[in-house]
Amino acid sequence: MDVLLNDDEELLRDQARAFLIKESPTALVREVEAGSKDYDAALWKKAAELGWLGITFPELYGGTPAPFSDLGLLFEEMGRGMAPIPIHPTLVAALTINEIGSAQQKESLLPAVIGGYKMLSWAWFEHGGDIDLASVQLAAKVEGDCLRLSGNKLFVDGFQQADQCLVVCRSQSGSTGNEGITLVLVDTDSEGLSHSRLPTLAGDIQDELCFDDVAVPLGNVIGQLHEGGEAAVAMFERAVILNCAMMVGASHKAIEMTFEYAKEREAFGQPIGSFQAIQHMCANMVTWVDGATLLTHEALWKLSQGLPASKEISTAKAFCNERCPAALREGNQIHAGIAQIKEYDLQLWYRRVAAWSMRMGTSIQHRRIVAREIDIVPK
Amino acid sequence: MDFGYSEDNERFRQQIKDFLKANVSREFRAEVREMQGKGMGPLAKELILKIGEKGWIGMSWPEEYGGRNADRIDQYIFEEELVRARVPLNIGNFIEQAPAIMSAGSEAQKKYFIPRLVRGEVTFALGYTEPSGGTDLASLKTRAVEDGDEFVINGQKTFTSGAESASHIYLMARTDPDSPKHDGISIFLVPIDTPGITIRPLWTLAGGRTNEVFFDEVRIPKTAILGEKNQGWYIGSKALNLGRAGAMRYYTYVSLFEETLYFARSNPLGQQLMADEIARDKMAELYCEAQVARLFTLRSLSMIRRGINPPYEISSEKVWGPEFLVKSTEVVSQILGPYHQLWEGSELAPHRGSFPKRYVSAMVSTFGHGSTQVMRDAIARRGLGLPRGAV
Ligand SMILES: Cc1cc2nc3c(=O)[nH]c(=O)nc-3n(C[C@H](O)[C@H](O)[C@H](O)COP(=O)(O)OP(=O)(O)OC[C@H]3O[C@@H](n4cnc5c(N)ncnc54)[C@H](O)[C@@H]3O)c2cc1C
Repeated sequence: MDVLLNDDEELLRDQARAFLIKESPTALVREVEAGSKDYDAALWKKAAELGWLGITFPELYGGTPAPFSDLGLLFEEMGRGMAPIPIHPTLVAALTINEIGSAQQKESLLPAVIGGYKMLSWAWFEHGGDIDLASVQLAAKVEGDCLRLSGNKLFVDGFQQADQCLVVCRSQSGSTGNEGITLVLVDTDSEGLSHSRLPTLAGDIQDELCFDDVAVPLGNVIGQLHEGGEAAVAMFERAVILNCAMMVGASHKAIEMTFEYAKEREAFGQPIGSFQAIQHMCANMVTWVDGATLLTHEALWKLSQGLPASKEISTAKAFCNERCPAALREGNQIHAGIAQIKEYDLQLWYRRVAAWSMRMGTSIQHRRIVAREIDIVPK
Repeated sequence: MDFGYSEDNERFRQQIKDFLKANVSREFRAEVREMQGKGMGPLAKELILKIGEKGWIGMSWPEEYGGRNADRIDQYIFEEELVRARVPLNIGNFIEQAPAIMSAGSEAQKKYFIPRLVRGEVTFALGYTEPSGGTDLASLKTRAVEDGDEFVINGQKTFTSGAESASHIYLMARTDPDSPKHDGISIFLVPIDTPGITIRPLWTLAGGRTNEVFFDEVRIPKTAILGEKNQGWYIGSKALNLGRAGAMRYYTYVSLFEETLYFARSNPLGQQLMADEIARDKMAELYCEAQVARLFTLRSLSMIRRGINPPYEISSEKVWGPEFLVKSTEVVSQILGPYHQLWEGSELAPHRGSFPKRYVSAMVSTFGHGSTQVMRDAIARRGLGLPRGAV
């Protein structure tokens, strides 16, 4: 038991942070957000060269075996640096392929992902934004050696850049909950698959997908046909905790900027940071974000150990969703006027943390999971 | 990062559980209820001695002072199991003064007090707060004046909890009225039965006891001073910071929630109330926030174990924990509704009517041992480097 980072973890964090300060300056973040490109290809290439796309993957495919928590720490830095690359959607899909894909699928997909040549996406959520698998209604019918997909997916991250998208669908009509679920890898340029971009608060790239009788070879099914429920939940959970990591990374940066600002900015002849009212807001901010970080780390650690972590993941997410944006709102209020202006950088983190808190399950939805996990739902 | 307990930790936990199972009897629990606010009964004293014999009090201290150099995490586990078994012996309070005695005490004091604290034979009441205030402790007025080989003490302390059963009072008094306020204070280890000390009970809203303690020409030998004269403030603050960390404190913050959780799962009324999804949402929210309290404690312990005196983390713990406790009283009261106001003596009262008592006593944690305001000051100034105000 030592909940602090160990030397190796600190080194990983420091190196990633230093790299992203240099390679992901806010000018680049702004440029990508302005829409001249979907992501920064040079940064993606460098991330691949550094081996970041292979952390936790087997050496056989070019990866670096490491505990899942290392990936979490890397994502914290991705959030802090707002790296404009689709690393979250790509790795969420790739991790699932690594976990349940066949040797042949892994062989053909993972080296390309890890090497930075293939981008992936994942499609899980549908209309209503529910995080319960029961909400997955996209229909997949087996016909000959194909699955035919009909229906919609929403809030799909990184679809436009991706070569393939790992789609969660209901392959047995009439099945409920976790039953009759299949995961299938769909080429993003498949016939019958259309997409439209959703403009978002964070300025990131999400799409609505429309599947109009899209034929996908059965060979693209990842894991077992009809038996993908558990893997779909696991994929969702990893996506959630990596999202938490990004949120806490970005939040730490934004609150640190605020503390510095409070030391410099003067009012009534003294730094605003010397007013007790401001100090107490700052004390809350660091307490909340530290709490969010510890919860996230505990969940990451459990996943690294191969222990069940649904409770910890939802606990972290429910807390992050509320306290990280709250900390940034305090930061915004301490900055006051200047924080409302686009030119000033704080807003880049503020909008992202806010937007990330609204995705992959609200605090209310995650507390529903927590309530189930702590066994207070009457039988 | 390592959020797990080692096999040794787990073995130790089992040892504690077995011990408590064998030694915490129905009679003991009855005595605790009976003696509430009246000090410690014979069974409680016996249990403390047994725990002391096992070497579990202050087990993380160095061996020469009666500890076992044990892992802080084992101490945490010990405290955790004690509170989980609802053994209300506040071992945390018994040992709070030990770090200060160890770092500042004379050889004779260390040899006398530490082993006795460990065995539970010496217990301290904390003589800090005075009627004029507790938060601005350094303004205290009780005087200790040198006279030959003795100090003569005059003044008054208040809210001196446990004075009715303690063997000693850990007393802060002013030894130099002319220096700046922090530099004229000393700490004394005073036997509670010294002539000139009188104790008057004060009863709290929850029915618990604390005291006023009056000092009238109390003479103590010079050897009763802890550390150097006029250094008391600095000796005390370090111990106070470390005394804020540990399972004992963490559990005082979350035990109400834990018990409510147990109630929600196992009591028919609790289950009935949990049919309401909004009530479940509130409970889940408390659960999440309780985990933060736990992790803050483990963070402080992780730091202390690495030899770091946490600059602000303990203060965060001391803000989050008490406010969590107060929030949980609020939430639980709104879940239980009219059942929550039923006092001891009603057949219908859940948990023998302890809920309303805890509701009214929860507030104490938000100002005792450093108020949440002052703790936030410490986080902002010591932790974040924000400047001191012009006030
Ligand atoms: C049941 C109980 C048991 C206790 N046991 C003990 C004990 O065993 N030994 C002991 O010594 N004491 C004990 N205390 C006393 C306790 O430590 C004090 O109540 C506490 O220190 C606060 O002091 P006070 O009540 O005098 O409030 P005050 O110091 O008068 O404070 C009043 C309010 O002003 C706020 N305030 C003060 N300074 C500032 C500032 N700079 N900025 C912003 N706000 C500020 C405080 O936060 C508080 O909200 C006990 C109290 C109770 C109720």
